[in-house]
Amino acid sequence: MRLQKLIWVLWPSFIAAGAAEALFFTVFDPEELPFFGTIVGASRIATYSVGFFLFWAFAAFSSSLTCFFQRGSDEINRCPLPPTARPLGCPKRSDENASCR
Amino acid sequence: MDTPVKSNNGATLPETAEQTLYEVRKKIYPRAVRGKFAAWRWTFVLLTQLVFYGAPWLSWNDRQAVLFDLVSRKFYIFGLVFWPQDIVYLTVLLIICAYSLFLFTAVAGRLWCGFACPQTVYTEVFMWIERRIEGDRPARMKLDRQPLSPRKFGLKAAKHGVWIALALWTGFTFVGYFTPIHVLWREVMTLHTGSWETFWVLFYGFATYGNAGWMREQVCKYMCPYARFQSVMFDPDTLIITYDPDRGEPRGSRGRSVDYKAKGLGDCVDCGICVQACPTGLDIRNGLQYECIGCAACIDGCNQVMDKMGYPQGLIRYSTEKAMQGHYSAERIVKRVFRPRVLVYTAILWLIIVVSAVTLYERVPLKVDVIRDRGNVMHGSDDPEVQNVYRLQIMNTQEVARDVRISVAGVDGIKLEAEAQPIRVPATSSRVVAVRVEAPRASLKDRSNRIHFTVEAADPSHPGTAPLTVVEKAALVIP
Repeated sequence: MRLQKLIWVLWPSFIAAGAAEALFFTVFDPEELPFFGTIVGASRIATYSVGFFLFWAFAAFSSSLTCFFQRGSDEINRCPLPPTARPLGCPKRSDENASCR
Repeated sequence: MDTPVKSNNGATLPETAEQTLYEVRKKIYPRAVRGKFAAWRWTFVLLTQLVFYGAPWLSWNDRQAVLFDLVSRKFYIFGLVFWPQDIVYLTVLLIICAYSLFLFTAVAGRLWCGFACPQTVYTEVFMWIERRIEGDRPARMKLDRQPLSPRKFGLKAAKHGVWIALALWTGFTFVGYFTPIHVLWREVMTLHTGSWETFWVLFYGFATYGNAGWMREQVCKYMCPYARFQSVMFDPDTLIITYDPDRGEPRGSRGRSVDYKAKGLGDCVDCGICVQACPTGLDIRNGLQYECIGCAACIDGCNQVMDKMGYPQGLIRYSTEKAMQGHYSAERIVKRVFRPRVLVYTAILWLIIVVSAVTLYERVPLKVDVIRDRGNVMHGSDDPEVQNVYRLQIMNTQEVARDVRISVAGVDGIKLEAEAQPIRVPATSSRVVAVRVEAPRASLKDRSNRIHFTVEAADPSHPGTAPLTVVEKAALVIP
């Protein structure tokens, strides 16, 4: 489940970052981009690469918030049943603090 | 645990099921099939990969023929050079791609997915390697059930070794589109690649290895947006891979010599080859499902069985929803391909292609931007002459040097002062030229006066040809 959520976050943000990268750097030349008043000293390839990861990071932040906020109450609240009263086959019968999902 | 865990859809999970990236997934061991559609797919695999791996090695005008030169911000595609200002052509290209996808999907479903998508193509190549090393489906399943032995380790190591080598070559080729590949190759050979280049080779190589070796159908099922919205592009006349239940049912196994019709059986021998051949592991006999990538492996597999049984081919075939209901003839299905939706898509697609090709052909390979230098006003308000300074950015987008002459007009008695003309602008480069424009105050009517610069660029290597001319407007302002 953790891995799954990681992909939910990383993959759509990767696509979004690719689109943002292409658009942004078509319009702005890294060698003419002011960075706190001075010009970014790094090579264009380095700026493109760092730019891509920045876009990816921001998009991933947004995706992770979406993932975080869409959790239902059954994922947040503790299971109302005491462990012994949970049905046979429940994978969380031994976990006192488990939530349903 | 007292009882086996149930999955979401209620099915009891076998113990071998693994929790992989997206869901509780049973590993799929697609069976290799031979036939018309497999041959088509391999044709596309070879064609697309010949282009992908080969194109960066071609030369044109003493440079790489296809090079998306990020460092100098220019894209070269054979004779064409694109500058960041040409982004409209990229947009048009994307529109053409999207419209082609709409058109192909409306006609025959997921042709792109089944035959040309890189995910399909690389999975096909990776599975071919897997088959050569580990054997076909039964051998692979047997191998995976065995405990680790020197033989198993050797086979797995060989497979992953070849996969990684191919993935790295793919990553290298990919980076070779953005940085000159001959230089990159020399750098790789001497182990002197730049750190970012190394990183992107490994990144793309890893993505190829992961997607084609491990993720496979999961990419199509969970990561691809097209799979999710494909259905809006389908209509009842779209050719899709269809199982013919009228002919196949009731399914059941039988001997080859048995009169199955007398036993009340249909043509489906329920051998399961169609399911085994499917790279996404679905049963096409349950009807169209979003997981179906339209690869037609089930058609090939079923046809092989039909041949063996001596039954006619096409129990699973390309057909349409309407054709299945109305028992259309093949001619009628083909006739329905030319329906209004398809014709409109085709017309729009051709219109966009023709218009963009014409504009591409007609574009002037010389661009001029005029910027008035606002701070540079040197004369007093009672001076008989008004002076303005401009910076002209002259972009020579072609691969020939140009000799540029600048003149100005628009106001009586206007004069231009610049460096010695003609000004040489080297091939595919831009130059900023500062010019001073002077005009008698008496001939200026308003505070801001419309003037225009004429930039003529001659080709010194072909003295007879007419120069390119660009006229750019500007304002002459009284300070």
